[in-house]
Amino acid sequence: MNGGKATLGRTAGLYAGAAVLRLALFTLFPRLPDLLTGRVEISTPVTSFKRLQEGLFLYNHNVSPYDGGVYHQAPLLLPIFNLLPSFATFPIFTYLLYIAIDILSADALLRIAESGEAGSSARFTSPRRDKRWSGAVIAALFLFNPFTIATCIGRSTTVFTTCAILHAIANAISGRHFHAMVALSFASYLSMYPLLLLPPLVLLCYDRQKQPATGAPNAWIKFAATMVMDVVGALAVLFQMSFCLTGSWEFLSSTYGVQLTLSDLAPNIGLWWYFFVEMFDSFRSFFLAVFWLHLSSYVGGLSVRLRQQPLVVITLLLGIFSIFKPYPSIADASLFLGMVPLYRHVFPLLRYSFVIAAIIIYATFLAPAFYHLWIYAGSGNANFFYAITLVWGLGLSLLVCDLAFAVLRDEWEVERPEMVGKEIRQI
Amino acid sequence: MRRFFASFLLSLLSFLCFSPYAAIANASSAADSISTSISDSRSDYHEQLILRPLPLSALLASFNFRSNTSLSAFEAHNFRFFPRSLGQILQHAGTRELHLRFSLGRWDAESWGARPWNGAREGGTGVEMWAWLEAETDEEADHKWLTLTNALSGLFCASLNFIDSTRTTRPVMSFQPEGNHIDANAANTHLLYGVLPHEVVCTENLTPFLKLLPCKGKAGIASLLDGHKLFDSSWQTMAIDIRPVCPEDGECVLQIEQSIDMVLDIDRSKRPRDNPIPRPPPAHDMKCNTSKPYHAHDTCFPTDSAANQDWSLSQIFGRPIKGTCPLTDPTVSPVCIQVPDSRIVFASEGAIEKKNPDQTSRCFDFPAENDFEVFLPAPETQDGSVVVDQHLVKPETPLLYAERSFTGHGQERGGVQTILRNPSPDQEVEFIYMESLPWFMRIYLHTISARVDGQPGKADSLIQEVYYRPAVDRARGTQLEVRMTVPPASTVFLTYDFEKSILRYTEYPPDANRGFDVAAAVITILNRDKSVGNSRFAAYNLRTTTLLCNLPTPDFSMPYNVIIFTSTAIALAFGGMFNILVRRFVAANEGPENGLKKGVNRLKAKLAAMFKKRGSTPAVMLDGEKKME
Repeated sequence: MNGGKATLGRTAGLYAGAAVLRLALFTLFPRLPDLLTGRVEISTPVTSFKRLQEGLFLYNHNVSPYDGGVYHQAPLLLPIFNLLPSFATFPIFTYLLYIAIDILSADALLRIAESGEAGSSARFTSPRRDKRWSGAVIAALFLFNPFTIATCIGRSTTVFTTCAILHAIANAISGRHFHAMVALSFASYLSMYPLLLLPPLVLLCYDRQKQPATGAPNAWIKFAATMVMDVVGALAVLFQMSFCLTGSWEFLSSTYGVQLTLSDLAPNIGLWWYFFVEMFDSFRSFFLAVFWLHLSSYVGGLSVRLRQQPLVVITLLLGIFSIFKPYPSIADASLFLGMVPLYRHVFPLLRYSFVIAAIIIYATFLAPAFYHLWIYAGSGNANFFYAITLVWGLGLSLLVCDLAFAVLRDEWEVERPEMVGKEIRQI
Repeated sequence: MRRFFASFLLSLLSFLCFSPYAAIANASSAADSISTSISDSRSDYHEQLILRPLPLSALLASFNFRSNTSLSAFEAHNFRFFPRSLGQILQHAGTRELHLRFSLGRWDAESWGARPWNGAREGGTGVEMWAWLEAETDEEADHKWLTLTNALSGLFCASLNFIDSTRTTRPVMSFQPEGNHIDANAANTHLLYGVLPHEVVCTENLTPFLKLLPCKGKAGIASLLDGHKLFDSSWQTMAIDIRPVCPEDGECVLQIEQSIDMVLDIDRSKRPRDNPIPRPPPAHDMKCNTSKPYHAHDTCFPTDSAANQDWSLSQIFGRPIKGTCPLTDPTVSPVCIQVPDSRIVFASEGAIEKKNPDQTSRCFDFPAENDFEVFLPAPETQDGSVVVDQHLVKPETPLLYAERSFTGHGQERGGVQTILRNPSPDQEVEFIYMESLPWFMRIYLHTISARVDGQPGKADSLIQEVYYRPAVDRARGTQLEVRMTVPPASTVFLTYDFEKSILRYTEYPPDANRGFDVAAAVITILNRDKSVGNSRFAAYNLRTTTLLCNLPTPDFSMPYNVIIFTSTAIALAFGGMFNILVRRFVAANEGPENGLKKGVNRLKAKLAAMFKKRGSTPAVMLDGEKKME
């Protein structure tokens, strides 16, 4: 906001610093990428880089990568990585691609932050909005978050989804609806769950239209229908391209079907895997339906209650997804934690910030230790790692709830300015 | 379960046998066989036992039983030497060729040399079967395969019915039909291969095996077969091969070949039954290797190879051969021993010894009604030390040594490493390496690589062709066939990575922490002579040992706890969010009172009301009391 050029120089320096840090980690520690790729906290069956390489190998040798139990990622990733020079001989190109994607995500986040949407949306202006961090700080918090760096070094394909989601939000804020919807389609195409962000994103687009809505009573229905048609069209094009690429529709069951039915029970930091390892066979489908229903149930409630601030809805949903989606990883948490600093103005209203920070740090350090005890040392069992995933999930859900509380209290204090700083309760 | 299935199948079979049609067929077959037996009975059945002493006081005993039936007789349900029970199953399942293996133990190629029958009658540990089925479509072939495995499961008391789609593959390069088929590669002939590495082969499988023989193990060389000895051996494999054979000058016949190869440890077998615990021999009986530097009056390094080279049939098998099977072809000697001609072999009275021109083997014919016994005395020595070469036939060097093992540690991921050594100094060896892996070993084919020992870098050019069918979770196992070569006098390491997946807790066996058996890799060595069309195939077969793969295990004792804990975590998150979204904010002192305060106030009001009620009549007294206070 202060002096375009100075900011430009600062952000360029920031991006360069982030890129150099990542490049240094890639090149100075040549075994680090493979180590991180093998970590369950970073690579899930639907995002693992090693599985992507296997899919690429099969694709290049005319074996359908979807006729097997290893590759569960979107078909269009195959030609993208195929275009790059071979990973085995020139890994640097892959590294550069991942670094570029991270910086693109940070740039989108910076645009979101600079727009000030978090503090003052079309329908609501927070009295605290002046107390905020600049875009560069928020981008830096995202870029230098250890979770983001680990995801980038581990070359999880979640980064593409993260980038698409952030660009969808940034485009929606800047009024480019079509671009926003296309970006959201990309994100949904890559990992399916971002489709649930459609309602709040349409609200965001509607609020940020260039020409304010006309008085026509049904204008918003028409607008929403256009947005939905955009997404459907973009997804249809993507699916058609995938079909042409693989020659059959079997990729649908292998990419999205796996997420829907959780047939691969590889451990991760989420709550699904152990639940469905231990689930009785006759109840498996019932609980799968319940879990998916639970995940999508938040969309409606949050969109209605926080109608005035659609960006908050998106942020909270991202937090919920990073806990309750079928194959979460720290990449999802890093996206959510990257969005949270946008709400710097409501930080004073958070009630449990210390507890949350303590829980997240505790889980971050104990999860690898407990996993080691279970898998390698043999001195612990699966319950050790399961317990720490519960703690992680509870910590993040506490953050999501606390943020929702803070934002709602901020909204409420507009009506009741005299209550600032006073003790309140909910009835 | 398998017992139940066996009994069910037997009842099914008996139903088949006693159906009126079968009865007529039986009657006619009896008449047929009487008329035909005179003409061609000579080649219908023969049996032979070949004994070969191996280094390190081991003895290889190869039993071979072969019977033929003409295809026309088979199709007309006329069974003479061919077992009816098996024949009907084969006809029902449209089987053209069948190979079935029950194996145990490990062939020690380093000391014992090349495998018997060039490895063609061998299977990996557990049960292995492959068959060529006649079917129009893949689905039909699968269906017939299911019928065949279930029927054989009942016949052989083995869990062959557990060969489901995850354990069945369709090899592309590794197996070729042994019999003469009119159109072996036709679209309606399907090769299916199934393997059960976890199956423990035992006496219950031997009994049905012996029942298929014309003499049922009552006479002839089969009378030596006893479960206690057979399954106590260091290595044994029971094989059944059924194939159509068309001689150039005659009618096509269906041949069933049953063979049992076993390597007995002579020391172990000679142990008396009433005193089976091994004890060290007394010091004065021990033969010491005097060439050791530490040899002294109180230290002894036992000479192993020279010891216990004397044995007799009844010592190691527990009984002599009970005559010959009267149905066997008299021109084939029932017992042969492969020892150099210089060694003395005593046989029981009436036996005729025939030395073969190769000077390393001799055969014995003996009268059908007498028991037959062979005794091999220990080789004579001058100074107590014996040179092995003089009294044993030197084992043939195999074309290839193979060893397979897991690399890495932990229950998350690992690698498979196969060490392939070509002992030949000047000939390279070309072979097909086949693995059929369970689906929960997710292999990464992009990591497959070959490396020559002693040379830096990869040698992927040795891998010439790869056929790969990836596994599908819970539906199909991995099938990997690699055609590769090993240069002369070198060792090649073939490696690939895999990931272990965690299963649903109901999918683990009761002994989950024992690990999961991974079937042996099948190595088929191709003939060097490329000019000979089909016979290029299978110069030698070998199999690696099976592996034990440890998967991560969940805690089996707490499904309820996990369901409750996870549900609580979800309820906490959902409930917290729901509360925040649905309830209104008010200042701490506004709005209706909250639960606890409300309760306390209500209680106070109730108490007050109660006191009022009670105090309505003795109002004065109350007043008085108050005043007193």
